[in-house]
Amino acid sequence: MIYSEVSGTISKVLVSRDQIVEKGTDLLIIECMKMLIPVTSKNRGKIIDVYVKENDIINEGAKLIDVKYNI
Amino acid sequence: MSWEKELDEKVSREKLSENLGGKDRVKKQHDAGLYTVRERIELLTDKSSFSEVGKLAGHAIYNEKNDLIDFKGSNFIFGKARIDGRNVIVGGDDFTLRGGSADASIKEKHLKCEQMALSLQLPLIRIVEGSGGGGSVKTIETSGRANVPEVEGWNLVVESMGTIPRVALGLGSVAGLGAAHLACSHYSVMVKEKSAVFVAGPPVVEQIGQKLTKNELGGYEIQLKSGAVDDAVDTEEEAFDAAKKFLSYLPNSVYQLSDQITSKDDPKRTSEWLIEAIPKNIKSVYKIRPIIEDLVDKGSFFEIGKEYGKSIVTGFCRLNGWPIALMASDPYSYGGCWTSDTCKKVQKFVDLAETFHLPVIYLVDCPGFQVGLDAEKKGTIKEGVRAMSAIWQTKTPWMSIIIRNCFGVAGAAHKRGSSYISRFAWPSARWGSLPLEGGIEAAYRSDIENADDPKIELQKITTRLNKLRSPLRSAESFLIEEIIDPRHTRRIMCEFADLSAPLRKTGITNRTMRP
Repeated sequence: MIYSEVSGTISKVLVSRDQIVEKGTDLLIIECMKMLIPVTSKNRGKIIDVYVKENDIINEGAKLIDVKYNI
Repeated sequence: MSWEKELDEKVSREKLSENLGGKDRVKKQHDAGLYTVRERIELLTDKSSFSEVGKLAGHAIYNEKNDLIDFKGSNFIFGKARIDGRNVIVGGDDFTLRGGSADASIKEKHLKCEQMALSLQLPLIRIVEGSGGGGSVKTIETSGRANVPEVEGWNLVVESMGTIPRVALGLGSVAGLGAAHLACSHYSVMVKEKSAVFVAGPPVVEQIGQKLTKNELGGYEIQLKSGAVDDAVDTEEEAFDAAKKFLSYLPNSVYQLSDQITSKDDPKRTSEWLIEAIPKNIKSVYKIRPIIEDLVDKGSFFEIGKEYGKSIVTGFCRLNGWPIALMASDPYSYGGCWTSDTCKKVQKFVDLAETFHLPVIYLVDCPGFQVGLDAEKKGTIKEGVRAMSAIWQTKTPWMSIIIRNCFGVAGAAHKRGSSYISRFAWPSARWGSLPLEGGIEAAYRSDIENADDPKIELQKITTRLNKLRSPLRSAESFLIEEIIDPRHTRRIMCEFADLSAPLRKTGITNRTMRP
């Protein structure tokens, strides 16, 4: 599970359920303090679920994306 | 006439002490994937360098003739040892004896260990497991009365925070006084999945309605993010390596200075890619760690507290072989804004550098303090002024290189008032009281509202102001001393390290640091 390390607004969601992602793939972009901060995949994996959509306002610690790694 | 018999008894008692809590307890420790305290000391220190103090202290059982039947050592073992050829004091809890708690402890050993490190002015490494000599509920029965809470010898712990390096390794479950010893250090490490740290463990916490596992309550993810512990590693061996590496940058005490080592990395080395390291799009972030790794002597960066207050990266490094305390903003966390946690991290790190006379280099990309309701609820401004005060109180040589944003009160904390610091800026630097992006609408509200097309008016104002914010215009007024080619930054940092080395002064700082 990937949780948000910052509070802010979801600027872009770049992946969807069941998608295979590579290590380092940008999964979504959070706008925080006027900056665009990408959330990337730590490893190759499969997207199990996405819990946010564009323009959602999120708090630090919010559930963002469930990824199953090492598939 | 000889004293052989007495000496034989001493040796036999020492052998009994090496049995720790007994075969079964030692097996249990090993089965849990943990080393015993004696194995830990052996792995941490140079071979055969450990000279134990008080191996004969413990709990003996005698028969009616007063002959010794059994002997168990105290559950705190300490002494002098060497790490990388350098003298240190090491003390460790024996979890196989009453979980390291006071019931099997001799508190004077803890005191003597602290006194020894402080008096000999040597670094202290505490290996903590269990309650660190603290009491348990059972203590009331074993002692026949209730204690009025007191932590005897804490004055020594407090004094040593301002005098000698203290490293604490939490290698198992750590609670109560043990957790206090872990937290009261300049650098603390725990082992992922094996260590858990808490004021009180799951059975106690369940009494207030929280049913949690050890990991859920005090696992490394909790304690690193909270800042209670600095780092976590995968194995005990890695924890020992981390302790050694941390100590390698520091003097034995504040009465000495760290040494320069021979560096194979050319201090004049240039790095072509740094000219494009900072994105032109001001909303885009970049990774600061590769920049740091590139600027310092190759492989010398040792990060401390990676998971806490993440908008500042802190750690030790070497430049031309000199140890340096390095801070750098990380735009991936709140764009580099100082959060409440960041401010606390800065306080501790700056105090650490000042205490042990390490010059500071700060790579600045700070758009200000974090703003918003969360920031206000966490008292960001209060922690912010404490961080600023910590910086203002330093006397150690200081260098700031503004690589991008430097705004507001938090931005001003890149220097300390009017005292001299070495200051440079990259051409990507931008500064002011408030970033234009956040302030134009407020500052030019009536102009924008009264315009025929507010959007076009906002764009016009932005374009006009953007032209004014070139760092070169600030340099015209000598508001910034030098704008440098990023590719030559390492040379400038190494020169700073060389110039700073003879300026370092030994001694205790006016205001000794707190953990």
